[in-house]
Parts: sequence; structure tokens; C-alpha cells
Amino acid sequence: MADPYRARAPFAPWDRRTLPGLFDVEDTARRVGNYKWAEMKLFEALGGWVATVPELDVKMRLGTHCYKHAWHAELWHKRLPELREMNPDRLAVPANDAMVRFVEALTEPEAPDQTIEKLTGVYRVFIPRFIAAYTYHLNGTSEITDAPTIRSLKLILPDEFDDWRDGEMMLQSLIETPEEAARASAHQLRLESIMIEAGGIAGPGTLGSQ
Amino acid sequence: MPITVSPETYTYVSFDAEVIRRIADDLVRALGMQDRTITIDVDETTPLVRTRLTIDGDAIHINADSGAFEDTRLPRQQSEAATATALGRVLLRASDRLTGGFGEAPADDQLTLAQVAAWETYCIGRLERLGIAVNRQRWLYNFRNRHGFTDGGDTAFDQLWTNGGLTWGELCAISDRALALKAAH
Amino acid sequence: MRKFLPADQLARDERFNTITMQDRFNDPRSALGTGDAATTTAGARQKFRLTPERRDASDGARGLMHGIMVGEIQALEGAGRTCWDFDTAGVAKTSSTGAHSAGAAQNPSGDMDVPFALKLDMARQCWDEARHVEISIKLSDWMGTEIGQFAENTVLFAAACSSDPVLRLAGVNCALEGLAIDVFTTMKEFGDLAGDPFLEFCEDWMLADEVTHVKMGSDWLRKVTENDPERRKKALDFQAVVDKLFSYGGTRSDSDESPIGLARRFRALAGFTDDEVEAINDVSVQALEERRARGAAARASADPASATST
Repeated sequence: MADPYRARAPFAPWDRRTLPGLFDVEDTARRVGNYKWAEMKLFEALGGWVATVPELDVKMRLGTHCYKHAWHAELWHKRLPELREMNPDRLAVPANDAMVRFVEALTEPEAPDQTIEKLTGVYRVFIPRFIAAYTYHLNGTSEITDAPTIRSLKLILPDEFDDWRDGEMMLQSLIETPEEAARASAHQLRLESIMIEAGGIAGPGTLGSQ
Repeated sequence: MPITVSPETYTYVSFDAEVIRRIADDLVRALGMQDRTITIDVDETTPLVRTRLTIDGDAIHINADSGAFEDTRLPRQQSEAATATALGRVLLRASDRLTGGFGEAPADDQLTLAQVAAWETYCIGRLERLGIAVNRQRWLYNFRNRHGFTDGGDTAFDQLWTNGGLTWGELCAISDRALALKAAH
Repeated sequence: MRKFLPADQLARDERFNTITMQDRFNDPRSALGTGDAATTTAGARQKFRLTPERRDASDGARGLMHGIMVGEIQALEGAGRTCWDFDTAGVAKTSSTGAHSAGAAQNPSGDMDVPFALKLDMARQCWDEARHVEISIKLSDWMGTEIGQFAENTVLFAAACSSDPVLRLAGVNCALEGLAIDVFTTMKEFGDLAGDPFLEFCEDWMLADEVTHVKMGSDWLRKVTENDPERRKKALDFQAVVDKLFSYGGTRSDSDESPIGLARRFRALAGFTDDEVEAINDVSVQALEERRARGAAARASADPASATST
């Protein structure tokens, strides 16, 4: 066995993590607060819709996904005090007014014949925006100083991908006519327009500045 | 022979005596029992699903609780499928008793639970072949509850379900073999 | 999407037919028929406990399993609505620039806001109930029951419609999930005795979740009403009403005349005290007596001569 007292490099040759990151503590806390707010709004909407969709398979999926996004919100809630925000509720806010309007438009469909609109909003607009924001954060943050956020992002992102795939497959199985495809597109267009105004779930700069 | 259904009109449930008569008539013709006198008394005061059979010479008397003919989706409404299944089961049991091979079968209230399940399976399998819609899995579950959840038990179920000319002795032998396998399991 | 969805607005596909408790009460056969069934002509009381020895055991189990399935669907919907219907205490109802957050305008005073952690528990319950629906559908298929084969009574969701979240917890988590403990225990024992390789296994898993849900409900009820004895009393009264409603006809009690037993051990695990379990048993036995009396009265009015024979 090698001599345990021999000096070794603190970073093994295969550990290529670096210090620089795009976000300081304050930026990170703000983004995490926006994430928490958005995940909360998503799980609340999914929970509310369960009773309004007649399709049994969709009903069960929404119930399952509801918990996943609640858990994401909880992870962000717990991260905030570690980012010097001792009152996690203070930063659990929408990035801007457009995000509020986005959630209002997202949660507008209620009727039992609007499952396509409900799923389109979540799985073709909102969740892709989560995936984008989280991926940008994961790729841009300091690999050493912000390791706890990276761990949360790496736990959350697979859920987002899984749910996006579930939702997209449900949509593809529900959309049977060009008219239904048009309904999905129209709703997506409406929501995307508001989301563009919001600049993403963490506001302008969600994906950095081009 | 005409089939008598009573009562003719119903207070507690929305049943139609004429529908019961028509379904019974179709079954009686399919089973070749036209020479029997058949009376059907419906007890509309109970939602239970029991049917009771009395044979007196050539006369067959059926007592049915209203639940036996009821649509489980729509309480107090009649279901033609449930009526056909309930009447078919009891008429086939009557037919078995009257046409030979089942002489030594105990009275209905003396049958063991396993014998009831085996005979039900034998009846429902024949009803399915008469074109009456039945849920095979329901009856398989019923049989398994009495004869065990074993491959041997399922084989016994298939023998009873697909057979058309068993005697009481043969039916009991199939049931007993499944019970022996259950005990050994 | 509005807040507070009434039970008659629950979305169902074409296979389902929903009925209300009123429909059930309006069935005159309930009084006549069950009264007749509960006592033999010799006056001896019959055993109705769902066991494999019952002549209609498999059909009884199938019917109960379907009831469990629709109950789980409504429990899923109820927990989901609690996530949506109430704002989260402490969380800003406006954006940083002052715009109202979605839904906030419907409860501006915030007096019915719920803690964030309570919502997380309700979301967790959504997942659990969704899993229970999946399990129940698979078990129903195994038992030869089609989805929607029996009428669905929406009374469970009705208990989840209160505008006070604490009353929802009392009605759904404490009363109904408590009933679920009794039902699952009865089904678990049934599966075990019948040798069903799946029933006992699945019911045991669901039972574990239900114990958690009851505990969740009673913990939150105590916590949220810590400084509000009046609200707590109201919630406990509501729980008693729901318990009584679900004991209609003596459906569950220690008596063998009840199809479903009272699962004392698992209820204790969930945090029910002996006194609380005893109170539920008393309510159920009383309901059983009332059923017998209704049956006797109904038979007497239908046929005065027969009333004396029971």
C-alpha cells in the first residue's frame, strides 16, 4: 500500500472542476427564489387539474408529476437559507409581472375537454423552460463554490426530462386531428409569447445574454 | 310453455317484466327446456344478488333478488346482461339436475363453496358459448378463491369452462383434484 | 381554473356513472333489503364480514376493490385540489413589481392560507393516491372487474370540498383515510386467507401509505389549530360527522355483521387513541342498530304480518 502520509494533489488528475462561475451568491439566491416560485405554481396547477381531466391515465400522471415539482420547490426552499436568505419566502417570487401573467394563462383552461391545452402549457412550454434554465445554471455555475446547487440541479433535471417525455407522449396520443394539433399550437403560441416577454422562468438573462 | 314473471310492475326498481320474460324465453329455447313450466319471482325489496332454484316435477321456480338483474353502474335500473347471466346460471343448473348425470348432486343449500364455484364455472362457460357476454376473469377469480391460486387450479377451471357434457361425479373429480393441489401448495 | 370545484364537476370518462349519497339514501331497498339480510327469519344475526367463507366472497371483494379504486381517484383529486385551492402562507401574492400572483385575489385576507410544508404533504399524497389508483386498477383487472363497472359515489370528494383546509384534513386524512386503514386491513386479511398472491401484498403497501396520511392529517390539524381551539373543535366535529356518514348502515365495526372490521392495531400506529377508536366503533354499532330498526320498520309498513317474524 502507498505511504498514507505522502503528499498528494488535493484535486486528483481526473477532477477537472474549476472555480469560476457566472453567478455570485446574490444572483444565485434570486434565481433559486424564482425557481421555487415557478415550481410551486406548477405543482399547484397540476394538483388542481387532476380533478378536471377525464382521461384516467392523464389524471394519474398529473398526480405523480405534482409531487415531483413540489419536491423540487422544497429543494429550492431549503437552498435559500444557505444562500444568506434567512427568510426563504422573501425571494420565492415570480421573476416579473410577465411570469405572473404566464402562470395565469397557463392555468386558465379548466373544462374537461381542454386536456390538450393543459398539457401543452405544461409540457411544451413550461417544462422545456425549466430544462433550459436549469441546464444553463448547471453549465454556468462554479463547480466548486456552488456544489450544493449543482447537486439539486442534477437531482431535478432527470425528473424534468422524464416528465417532459411523459407529457409529450400523452399529447401525441391525445392529438388525433389537424384541428386538435392547431389547438395545441395556438395555445403554445399564446403562452410562448408571454414567456418571451418574461425572458424565462428567472426573467431576462435566464439563459444569459447573447 | 309460457314463462311467468312476477311482479308485472315494479315500485322500488325500474325493471320490465316483459324484458325478463324475453330473456328467459331466449335462454329456455337455447337450452331446449321449452317443455318446462317456469316461474320467476323477483323480490324487488332487496338489492342483494341471490337467486334460488326450486324444482317440482317439470316445474322450475326461480326466486331472484333484484340485485341479480340490476345494472351495477346504474342502481335500480335493469341490466339485460346481468339478467341473462343470472337466469342462465340458474336455468343451466336446473337443466343439469333434470337431464341426468347430476342425480347425486346435493340440494343447493347443501353444496360446499368449492362445489358451487365449480358448478358456476361449468355453467358460465356454457353460457359464453351460447353468446352471452361474460367476464371470464371474474369467474376465474371466483374459482381460484375456492380452489387455490395454482396452475393446477387454473387447469381445472379450463376443463370445467370448456366442457359441455360433464356428470356431477366428473365435475366433483375435477374440483377435488384442484383442492388437493391447493392443499399441497 | 377556478378555486373550489364542486363534487358534481369531477371529470370522468364514459365508463363511469357517478351517484351521490342522496341517491343511495333514496334507494328504498337499502332499508328493506339490508334489514332483511341482517337478520334471518329465526332472528339470528348473519355474519357479513368480508371473508372467503362468505358465499358471495369473490363478488364482494370485487365490489369493494372497485370502491377502493374510485375512492383513491377521489382522494387523489382531493389532495390535488388542496394544493390548488389555497394560497401558501408567507409566499408573496404579488411579483416584485406588484402584480397579483395567480389566484391570490380570491383570498385576499389570507386567513385560509396554508403552510408551504402542508402543501408539500398534499402533493406527496397526490403521488401516493395516484399509485393507489394504479394498484387498484391492476388488482381490479386481476379480479375480473371492469373500470366503471359499479356506480361511483362521490361522497369522498365532497368531504374534500370544505373551504377550510383544516376541515379537509379532518374529513379526508383523519376520517376517510382512517376508514381506508380499516378497508385495506380487511382486504389484506381476505387476500391472505384466500391465498391470493397479489391482494395481500398490494393491500399491505397501500396500508402503509394510509397510516402515513392519517398521521400527516392529525399532525397538521393539531399544528394549524394550535392557537385556535374553536377552529379545532369545528374540525373534530366535522371529522365525527364524516365518520358517522361512512359508518352508514354499520359498514365497519368490530361486529361480524359489518363487512369491514375496525383495524385497531394499524389505527393505533396512525396515532388514533384507544378512546378515539372506541368512539368510531360506538358510532358504527349505533349505525348498525339504526339499520336494523329501519329494516324492521320498512318491513312492517310493507307487510305488517312479517314484522313479527324477525
